[in-house]
Amino acid sequence: MAGRKAYADVSLCKGCGLCVEACPVQAIVQTTQLNEKGYEVIQVDADKCIGCGSCYTTCPDYVYEVR
Amino acid sequence: MIQTLRKPDRIVQPCGFCGGCGHGVIQRLIAECLEELGISDRAINCVDIACCFWTLDGMDLDGIAGPHGRLPAVATGIKKTRPDDIVYIHAGDGASYTIGIAETVHICLRDVPVTMIVVNNGVFGMTGGQMSLGTTLLGQATTSTPRGRNESSNGSPGDFLQALSQFDFEFAARGALYSVKEINRTKQLIKKGFQNQMEKKGFSLIEVLSACPTNWHLSPVAANKRVEEVVAAQFPLRVYKDRGGMSDG
Repeated sequence: MAGRKAYADVSLCKGCGLCVEACPVQAIVQTTQLNEKGYEVIQVDADKCIGCGSCYTTCPDYVYEVR
Repeated sequence: MIQTLRKPDRIVQPCGFCGGCGHGVIQRLIAECLEELGISDRAINCVDIACCFWTLDGMDLDGIAGPHGRLPAVATGIKKTRPDDIVYIHAGDGASYTIGIAETVHICLRDVPVTMIVVNNGVFGMTGGQMSLGTTLLGQATTSTPRGRNESSNGSPGDFLQALSQFDFEFAARGALYSVKEINRTKQLIKKGFQNQMEKKGFSLIEVLSACPTNWHLSPVAANKRVEEVVAAQFPLRVYKDRGGMSDG
């Protein structure tokens, strides 16, 4: 999975935090920044991301693309 | 193998569910299975009147919504007239095990080659979180049992999947969504349900334990933990029945 990273479209995020819990390397953090729907969104730290796809699997709102 | 993970093409709208709801994951698992099996073009989505109704708009598939709890009857009709199409039901536990239990029993008895996915979150989600007679756990606070479900006045829940699996149909299994591992396992169960239908075997019933953070008044993470520790202890995750011989996990 070398080189693969998670990219988040935070306009779809509802701030549920399931990906934050699922990420095995704590590369995703919950922020207090709001998206246009008014949800507090997450942020991905690309340096820490190992591209495992756990966030894609758990996210109920299809925020992630792992490529 | 480096593989890109991207939302399936058949999901065409942002999710309308509450944050942390399991329905979004189930919708994606269904779309992924249909895509991987190459049957999206001939799939017919039969949705019930409840939260799963959103998938009618959210997915670019042929779809139909029937009267509440009667989707097994609707799907039976579609499958009998269009036997080459892939017909699946996406319904909740209230529809399948409470108001529509007669239809669920009949589709099991008829053994129609349809795939039925029951989302069990233990409450009537869309109407405001009332107690579901079949699946709300004892002690669980709901809108209609604010002090917790009480055995003497509200009765006890039951394992409907186990009860139904004594009938002669193809496949019955229960999955959950509280971890990446369980989501992947649930996907295998749903895929197996569709494969049974492609091979013109009998009826497949897959129950998925899902969280309803809004009506449980828990955070999504705490709701998933409750499914893992409390709900899955009451409703075991395993394959209940498989005429084709899948191992009893």
